[in-house]
Amino acid sequence: MESDVTDSFLKIGLINVMEPINILAILAGTMIGMFVGAMPGLSATMAIALLLPLTFQFEPATGLAMLASLYLSAMYGGSIAAILLRTPGTPAAAATVIDGYPMAQAGHAGKALGYSLTASLIGGVISSIVLLTVAPLLGKLVLNFGPIEIFAIAVLGITIIGSLSQGSAVLGLLSGALGLLIAMIGMDPTTGTPRYTFGNLNLFSGVEFTVALIGLFSIPQAIRLMIGGNADQAGRISNVRDRMLPTARQFIEMLPNSIRSAVIGVFTGLIPGTGGDTASWFAYNEAKRFSRNKAAFGTGHAPGIVAPEAANNAVVGGALIPTISLGIPGSSATAVLMGGLMVHGILPGPTLMTEYGDVTYTLLWAVLFANIALFVVGMLFTRACVSVTKIPNRVVGPVIVVLSIIGAYAINNSVFEIWLMLGFGLLGFVLDQCKIPTPPLVIGLILGPVLDTSLEQSLLIGRGDYMIFLQSPISAVLLGIAFLSVLQATPLPGLIAGLFRRMRGSVEAGNDNG
Amino acid sequence: MRKLVTTAAVALLMSGGLAAPVSAQGYTASDDITVLMGFKAGGGSDALAQLVQPFLAEELGVSFVNRYMPGATGAIAWTQLAKQVKPDGKTISITNTPMLMTNYIMNDTISYNITELTPLANIVTDPGIAVVAADSPYQTFADLMAAATADPGGVTVGNSGIGGDDFFTTVAFERAADVKFQKVPFQGDGPSWTAAMGGQIDASFNNVGITYPQIKAGNLRALVVFSNERLKELPDVPTAKELGYDVAAGSSRGYSAPAGFPAEARQQLVDGLRRVTENPEFQAAAAAQAMNIDFIGGDDYTKFLQDQEKVFTDVWNEVKADVQSN
Repeated sequence: MESDVTDSFLKIGLINVMEPINILAILAGTMIGMFVGAMPGLSATMAIALLLPLTFQFEPATGLAMLASLYLSAMYGGSIAAILLRTPGTPAAAATVIDGYPMAQAGHAGKALGYSLTASLIGGVISSIVLLTVAPLLGKLVLNFGPIEIFAIAVLGITIIGSLSQGSAVLGLLSGALGLLIAMIGMDPTTGTPRYTFGNLNLFSGVEFTVALIGLFSIPQAIRLMIGGNADQAGRISNVRDRMLPTARQFIEMLPNSIRSAVIGVFTGLIPGTGGDTASWFAYNEAKRFSRNKAAFGTGHAPGIVAPEAANNAVVGGALIPTISLGIPGSSATAVLMGGLMVHGILPGPTLMTEYGDVTYTLLWAVLFANIALFVVGMLFTRACVSVTKIPNRVVGPVIVVLSIIGAYAINNSVFEIWLMLGFGLLGFVLDQCKIPTPPLVIGLILGPVLDTSLEQSLLIGRGDYMIFLQSPISAVLLGIAFLSVLQATPLPGLIAGLFRRMRGSVEAGNDNG
Repeated sequence: MRKLVTTAAVALLMSGGLAAPVSAQGYTASDDITVLMGFKAGGGSDALAQLVQPFLAEELGVSFVNRYMPGATGAIAWTQLAKQVKPDGKTISITNTPMLMTNYIMNDTISYNITELTPLANIVTDPGIAVVAADSPYQTFADLMAAATADPGGVTVGNSGIGGDDFFTTVAFERAADVKFQKVPFQGDGPSWTAAMGGQIDASFNNVGITYPQIKAGNLRALVVFSNERLKELPDVPTAKELGYDVAAGSSRGYSAPAGFPAEARQQLVDGLRRVTENPEFQAAAAAQAMNIDFIGGDDYTKFLQDQEKVFTDVWNEVKADVQSN
């Protein structure tokens, strides 16, 4: 009986989404999303909130289809600036910088964007299919993740620092610790006491993550471009006519990585409090872990682009699962989407799958269609973007600074945050000069607040007993994996492997593109 | 961003303001009013603005521009309202209780207070409610109380965050009933009821408008509401007062202006807001979003804020040492 109902909603939704007005809404949402995503500081959440009133006059399904496509395409849009300018357009694209920019530097900007676009498509389609088929089942899973389990996830996330700082573990840890420290700024979540705010009201809510991110990545890059001048341009200019899409062989090679990253994305999106920013790092880390050619990461290695981009697009479907099946937003963008439902008189909650099934399933199909729209629009748009590499550095540098200032102000309409962004810019520049990696700092900033809140909550629930983390099976397993991850980053596994290899007496030269 | 703000303003106009005549007829102080918002676009304050302002624009013949200044649980916008905004009738703000008062009661660094404001009117109140998971062993509120009495501090109760309404409702209740819960703050109402539904905590002190869809679907069970009378959407749920605990609380949102606001402008706004809340079309729109209209206009709103300020100050002074020692 219930599956019959779902089947008919599936059909109604598909028919609805094919209506010209809805297709048009999806295309419009895709274009706006790509633009918003590409601009540092303008986020999908912000664009959804601002466009929400515009959609009131549409049918609920049309408005939602537009907003969902916007959300999805902003995830790809973020990678455009990350790859071309080394400044992530959205927090979720921060991990894409690591391999995307070097690839563009080597003259393959089009190829890098092609990888990003294809990975986004795969990640997005997988998560849409999950969304359309098993959303209600997975939705229930969310309820198993309370503060204790979320703490364990955050601990696991922190261990990524280890793999991102190979070569100089100490500097990586320093950077990660700095990120965690900065994340402690603001009101304590359980006592309300301001920490490290120096009596400044603007710091009471903590450092806005996006502001820090813009500063850390964009400003040092702008300085580098301006100081570096236009010498040695030859390599940087990418041929616009360069092949963008991966070849059939490359596509098959990127599949396992994309699918793994998509699964990571769906699950990270599912869990409230973690979104695209976390998922892309998790996926990057796993891609590296599974790769036989770890040293290639960071030098413009395709899997380093594919993993975060497949993951952050898959987050969209994941984050929508608890939103539609339970009425629990999986991310800040879906929280705003839920506000959009309420305006149309649809109260977010379990009735979304029953009473309002037609609207909900139209939305779900729209997410799937938006992936295709994204691919098509992306192909057209990206060619134009690649020509950015032809603009002289002395022009691009100041433009990045201007965009960063606008972006930092736009987040909370706060002049203070422009200064904060510039402060982080200086910090990023100093770190760069001292060869201290910034990605661990970003991880610290993302996960610091999650760790802080969930630790305090767990201890309140467990009445101060740390054993509570081992009593929950999910948390115990996650913490176990985290422990193994830490071991992996120490010389210990290397020693054992070395011993093993010597015993076998052969050295395998790995060359993988997976 | 400027472009986006304009888009939002245009959108607001389109969603109701267009019908208004261009010349101000009901409001003489200005043709347009800026509304300071202490929270992000898309949040609860924004929902109120999007609901009320198209109707009010029509009533008063003015256009509204929302200015979002999120941060420090609204304190950045309210400090600006109290300290910097000229009381010329051109700028007002959405004021949320209890945060409007608890911000400065709890933090010495936050320097504004309600004497620096001209309260206009409260519009909506979402009453407090205590919910448990559908499969919770606590069938009635008495069950929960028995467990809390037997093991003081052993029953975990979620709230939406320190300084929020649910935190203060819980503390006020603990005082009235002489029990002790283990209070667990979450980052908002959603995570708090989700944790109760998932069984990570025993109960969540929350709000009716937020948890109602889950109660209706049978995922959460309501044990008690903290309203003065039983609610028509939850006729079987007793009020705390019926059970012998003198606690009525919730989260309210309304509008306030800076101190020294022109009396005529204030009167026009208060009257306009009253007419909006009496409009059946508005009432239907509010009901669709599960917003509970609770109009308190003019000096009554001032008194409401003063009374709440006193209660919250007492509560905070009592629990401060305990909370900060965590």
